[in-house]
Amino acid sequence: MAGLGETLGRAATWPFTLMARAVDPPLRVWQRWTGTGGMAAVFLAPNLAIFGVFVLIPLVLNFVYSMTGGTGILLDQRPFIGMEQYGRLLECEDYTRRITCREDQFWTAVTNTAGFVIFQVTLMVVVSLITALILNRNIRGRGFFRAVFFFPVLLSPVVVGLIWRWILQREGLLNLIAVNLGLEPEIWLNDRFYAFAATIGVSTWAHMGFYTLILLAGLQAIPRDLYEAAEMDATPPSRVFRRITLPLLGPNFAVVLVLALIRSVQIFDEVYVLTGGGPGTSTLYLTQYIYEVGFASILRNPGLAAAASILMGAVLVVLTLLQLWLSRRAEGRRAR
Amino acid sequence: MGRIALEGITKNFGNVEVIHGIDLEIGEGELVVFVGPSGCGKSTLLRLIAGLDQPTTGSIRIDGKDVTRVSAADRGLAMVFQSYALYPHMTVRQNLSFGLENTRMPKPEIASRIDEAGRMLEIGDLMERRPTQLSGGQRQRVAIGRAIVRNPSAFLLDEPLSNLDAELRGTMRAELARLHERLGTTMIYVTHDQVEAMTLADRIVVLRKGIVEQVDTPLGLYNRPQNLFVAGFIGAPNMNFFRSRASAGAAELPGGLKIPAPCDGEITIGIRPQDLKLAGDDAPALEGEIRLIEALGAETVIHADAVDGTPLVTVLSGQPILGTGQRIRLTFDGLPHLFGADGKRLNQD
Repeated sequence: MAGLGETLGRAATWPFTLMARAVDPPLRVWQRWTGTGGMAAVFLAPNLAIFGVFVLIPLVLNFVYSMTGGTGILLDQRPFIGMEQYGRLLECEDYTRRITCREDQFWTAVTNTAGFVIFQVTLMVVVSLITALILNRNIRGRGFFRAVFFFPVLLSPVVVGLIWRWILQREGLLNLIAVNLGLEPEIWLNDRFYAFAATIGVSTWAHMGFYTLILLAGLQAIPRDLYEAAEMDATPPSRVFRRITLPLLGPNFAVVLVLALIRSVQIFDEVYVLTGGGPGTSTLYLTQYIYEVGFASILRNPGLAAAASILMGAVLVVLTLLQLWLSRRAEGRRAR
Repeated sequence: MGRIALEGITKNFGNVEVIHGIDLEIGEGELVVFVGPSGCGKSTLLRLIAGLDQPTTGSIRIDGKDVTRVSAADRGLAMVFQSYALYPHMTVRQNLSFGLENTRMPKPEIASRIDEAGRMLEIGDLMERRPTQLSGGQRQRVAIGRAIVRNPSAFLLDEPLSNLDAELRGTMRAELARLHERLGTTMIYVTHDQVEAMTLADRIVVLRKGIVEQVDTPLGLYNRPQNLFVAGFIGAPNMNFFRSRASAGAAELPGGLKIPAPCDGEITIGIRPQDLKLAGDDAPALEGEIRLIEALGAETVIHADAVDGTPLVTVLSGQPILGTGQRIRLTFDGLPHLFGADGKRLNQD
């Protein structure tokens, strides 16, 4: 059996062995010419090519588009207009009144997104932390619950949106239960407040498993001895949490905050399927605004959409850098 | 303060019993060392005393008070962990004060205790550093300091020196002995290192597979091991064992050397390597062939095979001129240790 296994293994790796033998001589020559630095470049090249084609070039193109006008898609059909699109997005007569802005939809999307980010990220961090703390305990069926909480992460955002639309729509599951309990049915997604809350709740439900996993890994990395030392020191549980668990979870918290923040600002697909941005524009978030301006509306304006996405990217970069700076400062203070 | 009594302690993990009914009394101010091979239950026993684990049956008394179901925090004990368990994000001062703050002790009292511990352990100038900025020995001192400031009725030390290098371990061992002498507090010390056990302990508890094999002073264990396990575990190199059949009040060692035996039947003769010496050419002797010579300068360790194939080790003083493959003839002064077929000691003198 061992002989058969070995033969099968050799057969399976044969193409790769052949490939390695083929590229070996030129790579040796290359290394002799360029040294180890040149070899690093060779191995990085495939990934850099993918990054360049799918991230860097579109980013540069997007920036170029943001300085062009008209409705044409190809760059040569679009006149250069400088920073006009940015001016259009940011121009307001009175910044306290959205309606006076030239692109009031953009400001509606910005305000909605800001509200969404504040509530969703807070809720996400709190719920993920509580879940991680519970799943870190020695409870019965811990493995099962870990899988259950992670399961929604595996679902496509469109599926998430559809599931919750079926639950929350006029003749959905929630109303069915309400009616059976003798309660008045509610048109949840037609109410501005409920729709906004639903987008927050649904996106939290869909992604919390991922953040729970990060925090759970952090909790499990805290040595048990520290808790036992605290127990010997008669430390109350609340103080253990504040003085030991939270500070030692700091690096994981930073990761969770940065990722949750970025994802939250970029929210689109599940909300688009769930509410379509409605009722009215109450759940119109920035990415949906960009999508609609750039591709979906009759008077599509790819330049304006590109400018809005550049602004959104800039905000994300600033927020991420701020978050990383804060967490590094906290870590530095801890290490001193 | 600091009398600890264990009565019929057992501990199960699931269906597996790892501690099998241990009775033990530790006197006030005593330094007792739990020693035994890995998995013998010494750390488990310490955790049961600390209150970090609960015994399945039996009771634990501290100063006469039953604390079996009392939480770790309320037993008045302090523990030094193998990993030190220092809070990595706190300074040395914060590590020392953390436990005291829980008791709502006035700040001046906390500061005075920390200063006193700092002076005693010579860590006063490290107070604003974090554990990552300390060497292994310094961390060890801080861990001990954290226990000292609590002024406990007993210290529990779980292999506290095992993460240090050999030289530092020797220094810290001496410091711990001085600290015990100075504080006069009961200490229970867990180790698998018999040198630590022999040099530190007032009494040693030898454990194997969750039972106490023997409790005695270090020299008591060395001179009068009560069974084959203790005889083989205490002393380095290990005691030599020779199986023999005693009859008419005598038993024979490989090579023909006869020794007196108190009973007839299968016995095991134990001789410490240090008790063996080279025999004269004509005298009856324990004979073997040298396999390996370890010359340590002041003494030479000889590994040999006795004529019946039993491994034989002897430690000879100085640098005798011997070579591998050479025959060796050994004898000894006094009486060897004799163990019956059940492994228990036969000669009680």
